[in-house]
Amino acid sequence: MEPVRSASTALGLRLLPWLVLVATLLVTWVVWEHEQQSNRAALRSQFDFALKETVSRIEQRAAAYEQMLRGVQGLLSTTHLKDRAAIHRYVETLQLDANFSGIKIIGIVERVAAQNKPEHILGMRQSGHDGYSIHPASSDSVSALIVQREPAATSSGSPLGLDIWPEPVRRAALETARDSGMAAITGKIRLAIDRPSDAPPGFVMYLPIFAPDQPRDTVAQRREHLIGWVYAAFHMDDFMASLYGAQSPGLSIAIYDDVEIREAALLYRSTGLSGSSSTTHTAAWSANEYMVVAGHTWTLSMASQPEFESRLGGDATTLIAGVGAALSFALALLVWLMVHGRTRALRLAASMTEELRHMAQHDPLTHLPNRALFSDRLNQELARAKRDSGRFLVIFLDLDDFKPVNDRFGHAVGDQLLLQVAQRLQKTIRAVDTVGRMGGDEFVVLVAGLEDQEAVSNMTEKIHHALQQPFVVDGHALRVSASMGVAVYPDDGTDELTLTRCADDAMYRIKNQRQAGINLASSAPA
Amino acid sequence: MIRSFLTALVLACQVCAAHAASPACSRTYTLALHDHGLLYSAATDSGIDKDVSDELVRRSGCKVTVSLLPRARIWQLIESGALDFSLSGITNAQRDKFASFAWYFSNKYYLLVRKDSGVKNLADFERNDQLKIGTIRSFRYSETANQLVDRLQTANRISQGGGLAPLYQALMLNNIQAMIIEPFDFPALEEAKIRDITSIVEFNDPSVPHGLIMSKKALEPAEQAHWSGLVHAMRADGSLRRIFEKYFKPDLAAALVNF
Repeated sequence: MEPVRSASTALGLRLLPWLVLVATLLVTWVVWEHEQQSNRAALRSQFDFALKETVSRIEQRAAAYEQMLRGVQGLLSTTHLKDRAAIHRYVETLQLDANFSGIKIIGIVERVAAQNKPEHILGMRQSGHDGYSIHPASSDSVSALIVQREPAATSSGSPLGLDIWPEPVRRAALETARDSGMAAITGKIRLAIDRPSDAPPGFVMYLPIFAPDQPRDTVAQRREHLIGWVYAAFHMDDFMASLYGAQSPGLSIAIYDDVEIREAALLYRSTGLSGSSSTTHTAAWSANEYMVVAGHTWTLSMASQPEFESRLGGDATTLIAGVGAALSFALALLVWLMVHGRTRALRLAASMTEELRHMAQHDPLTHLPNRALFSDRLNQELARAKRDSGRFLVIFLDLDDFKPVNDRFGHAVGDQLLLQVAQRLQKTIRAVDTVGRMGGDEFVVLVAGLEDQEAVSNMTEKIHHALQQPFVVDGHALRVSASMGVAVYPDDGTDELTLTRCADDAMYRIKNQRQAGINLASSAPA
Repeated sequence: MIRSFLTALVLACQVCAAHAASPACSRTYTLALHDHGLLYSAATDSGIDKDVSDELVRRSGCKVTVSLLPRARIWQLIESGALDFSLSGITNAQRDKFASFAWYFSNKYYLLVRKDSGVKNLADFERNDQLKIGTIRSFRYSETANQLVDRLQTANRISQGGGLAPLYQALMLNNIQAMIIEPFDFPALEEAKIRDITSIVEFNDPSVPHGLIMSKKALEPAEQAHWSGLVHAMRADGSLRRIFEKYFKPDLAAALVNF
């Protein structure tokens, strides 16, 4: 289970930086998205407010114009419809150019029955309008004739006497004003004072004038006692320009007559917004409001423009995205450095520990087990042999004639010779056996599991023979011999101390005899 | 003689006391109507609210200036105290802060939806984000209808209008696919061109009371109580039901005023 756990831990550590990166980027995204949503909600609120404000400003302005027109209506309740001078003076005092710049004309429409037309024409001519005539000719039983326009200079090109009753758009507003007793506006029209070629979109607001001191509580009474209308004519552009307050930046508005959004019904489009740009840009926010102005429906179409929408990706969201992403990568990098630094440190520590352990248990020159490790192996073999009633050998081995090699060729060659001896000993013994170096030119061999004397002899001879073969070191052919002392377990001892002492003694005995060879401890003199 | 004089004096004092206690007619009042189906038609200057206001004015004996205003403007003016009264108002927590009400009828709300939208219930409508609803600016409805409108508002699926007429036109042109209506709007459904292309979905909310709106800022509590009393008297003596019967069948009129 341990390797599995450590493998999973290692995998976890490797993935940790990525997990941190994903988690922090996710947090960044959540914060960014939240900010976006807050922005979107705020802009939605701004958009709704701007729409409400625009509708309100238009309604208020229309109401102000209606109020102004009611002043004229009020004047006509105190004077006669034909008192042109009074109406002229009254309109002059309104200072149309300043306060009511949206209005092009204020005028009077007189309702004239067909049978009264000759008398009407005569009266108009007698009042100073010499060439006055009714146009266009109409067979209707009633006419609605424009009998006065103020300021007169504005309408000098349009003669009085225009019968607007046959014209359906104007007639609908005239009838609505008559029947309701309230203000009514026309749909989109060309004002009579404009040239047909370049007339901007316009509309007219009418207020009914009833005969004084006559009841007007019902529709029938209003129809019976109507004597005319007072009206104000507007260019839509001027009307919109006269609104109080400023339009919210980045929002385009268009106003259409009635509820249909089509180019022919377009009354107004905010400046800086051409038809093409409005179609190429897909607005993030748009709304249509069907406003009712003086009994008539206008469709106000409002749409957001890139300038408005650019506030969605405001400074805060950009900052959050930038800083969040940067911090995410920085944090992930930090975790990666920490994880990999720790892994490298652990690997280094393990490697150093192994090296130290090797150094503590091996001879630095030959890398053979040293006395400590050999002692450990010997004790293991003792335990095994005692358990299995087995036998094994401990061989002490000392090179003869090594000192002259050192003296003659130097220590470097001597060390190379010791290394080759160690290698040759390792090749000679079996894998289960152990060869160690006690120091100087002394080696020790543990030969495990030899059951009889013949096997003992074969092994010792094999080692002895191997060492008798010449060594080639640095171009020199060197010959060394070895004195070997052999102790056999359990014949020569049953513990480490006894066995090693026996083997050591046996080796020294034969070495003292100054003849290389093998000496068994059991052959020692009693 | 003396007895007769004292009796006359006592009666005169009672009349004086009654007048002193009555806050009515301390000034000229203002009342605004809004153009909305059978409630009031500006084109004919007639409707339920016009009749109710005429009767109220007659009973109060006060001078009242009646005008026509958009509904959104009426609520603004009521809140500011620039307008004293309006009619057929419904309340909510916000309106309760600046207005008091004297209820005189109650009705349910319905969703009028185009048949070709495939909508069979409210969930169908809400699910299809291509469908838009038309509402009258500043109008509130029954609870479920309000919740639907608020959700659609955030989804940019609302087109607002200044009155019913343009919303009907927008519905016919398929610019909007639904609108919220009340029984006062039923006569419009008698027109075949609307009836043929629409169906009605119920909100399943209880009836919502409608009443005389009184500006708390403009009217003292005693004045509000006095005008409320006039409305209650109109309900009690059957005047209101008779007004409604001019516009509805008797059973529907009774259902509206008996709540």
